[in-house]
Amino acid sequence: MGGVRILEWFAPAVPAGGVDWEAAYREEMPRVFNYFRYRGLDRAAAEDLTSATFEKAWRARDRYRRERAAVSTWLLAIARNVAIDHFRRARPEVPLAEDGARDEETPETAALRAGQSLRLTELLRALPERERELLALKYGADATNRAIATLTGLSESNVGTILHRTVVSLRSRWDEGGSQ
Amino acid sequence: MSDDFLSRLREEPRPEFKDRLEGRLQEIDARERGRRQAPSPYRRFVPALAGASLVAALALAFSLEPVRAAAREFLDLFRVKRFAAVPVDPARLERLAKGGLDFKSLVADQVQVVVAPQKPEVVGSPEAGAVVAGITARQPGVLPRQAELAETTVGRLGSFRVRIETAKLEALALAAGADEIEIPAWWNGATIDVEVPPVLAMRYARPAAPGDTRPPGDPSYVLMQSSIPQVDLPEGFDLATLGRLGLRVSGMSAEEALTFSRAIDWRTTLLVPVLVQGGTFREVDVAGEKGLLVTYEPPVPPAAAGPARRARQQSLLLWSTADEAFAITGPGGGMELLEMAQSIR
Repeated sequence: MGGVRILEWFAPAVPAGGVDWEAAYREEMPRVFNYFRYRGLDRAAAEDLTSATFEKAWRARDRYRRERAAVSTWLLAIARNVAIDHFRRARPEVPLAEDGARDEETPETAALRAGQSLRLTELLRALPERERELLALKYGADATNRAIATLTGLSESNVGTILHRTVVSLRSRWDEGGSQ
Repeated sequence: MSDDFLSRLREEPRPEFKDRLEGRLQEIDARERGRRQAPSPYRRFVPALAGASLVAALALAFSLEPVRAAAREFLDLFRVKRFAAVPVDPARLERLAKGGLDFKSLVADQVQVVVAPQKPEVVGSPEAGAVVAGITARQPGVLPRQAELAETTVGRLGSFRVRIETAKLEALALAAGADEIEIPAWWNGATIDVEVPPVLAMRYARPAAPGDTRPPGDPSYVLMQSSIPQVDLPEGFDLATLGRLGLRVSGMSAEEALTFSRAIDWRTTLLVPVLVQGGTFREVDVAGEKGLLVTYEPPVPPAAAGPARRARQQSLLLWSTADEAFAITGPGGGMELLEMAQSIR
């Protein structure tokens, strides 16, 4: 499912009338950010790529066609292309455990979360590219199977099947390591 | 089978990142609109609370780019007819927003769009645009070097009704530490009707030449012209109180706001917010009328910063006559804008 440029699919340009872009930003930005997190990026890199995604989207808003896809799907299409470009540049990936504690956390819960995040990241990184991408879209971006199918070119049922198998396999490996 | 464990990486983006990116998107907005020279400048001519009349305010967006959109919308409410600059501290607005003050909902919940704004319509000539706008087109006799008329548009900004909610204004006063300002209880539910007439805009630019590496139309000068908008206020409504609140939110002390408030004729003066950092302003004479020249440097995104992409100075010149308001935006420190303005017939 590699370097398909889904963004271009939305051309030719037509006005994107009626879209509340501010609301879209508020709602979709966390999903895009978490998509990148689930692609195995640390917080700083995820922020950089989220910025790149929205900046591209903002400049291309006139080309958005609501009859072709929901805004969320369109943004994820851009995010995927940004991710593809990023990984093509083959920058070394940084373990997520480097991220600091969240404001509301005690040092103990922060340590626990960091440990679990690291383990989960390692499990995700061990997956084949396709499975990892599907999980990032599903659990990071909270995309529906239908939206994932649109984005990846897989059938909806295929998406469901792959996700199910992958989650079963991951669950087993997660349990083997203890829940920490 | 539970997949709960897969949600453990999920987290909310940091608020400071959210704000920073939002600011960057607003910069893109402003730049895109500036580049197209179509709706942008007079999108900022948002209708405002004013006295008997007010002028749409336009490209102030440029001077406010780093300020959150919500704050910008809020400040728009205080523009009135004549022009006076108000220094605005964006850091203060940020602090208020971070302290839980939602400018946008404070304002948006009270504003009802009666006639929606429309995208600017390109017309064949200034004369044709003037017919649509219901005014007489005035054009500069002097233009910047190599510039010529590139496009004429007419923008319709519609009409709006502001329904005042005293609880929200009180919350705003509280958040701004302006407890010396008392919001009259009778204001609650009072309405202010604002109707903004069409805005005629003429864009002047240097035509593209063979071998020219700069984008066509860069730089552009935009002359905007409009009748004075009509604003209906409830009888006895004290704009000065509302104005003082705005001044306090913008960063003035209680004493400064009071002094400024007393010095202003709120029914004829349009307040122009100018960022404390990076913006300067001065009063100028335009064919016998007092005008305001604002000069600023639009922020350059970090990725584009560097010796090759230094921020270019921009200026905005505002003035009005008895029944019309004018604005010119363009690059530089304002001398060319002044020459254009002085030559308008």
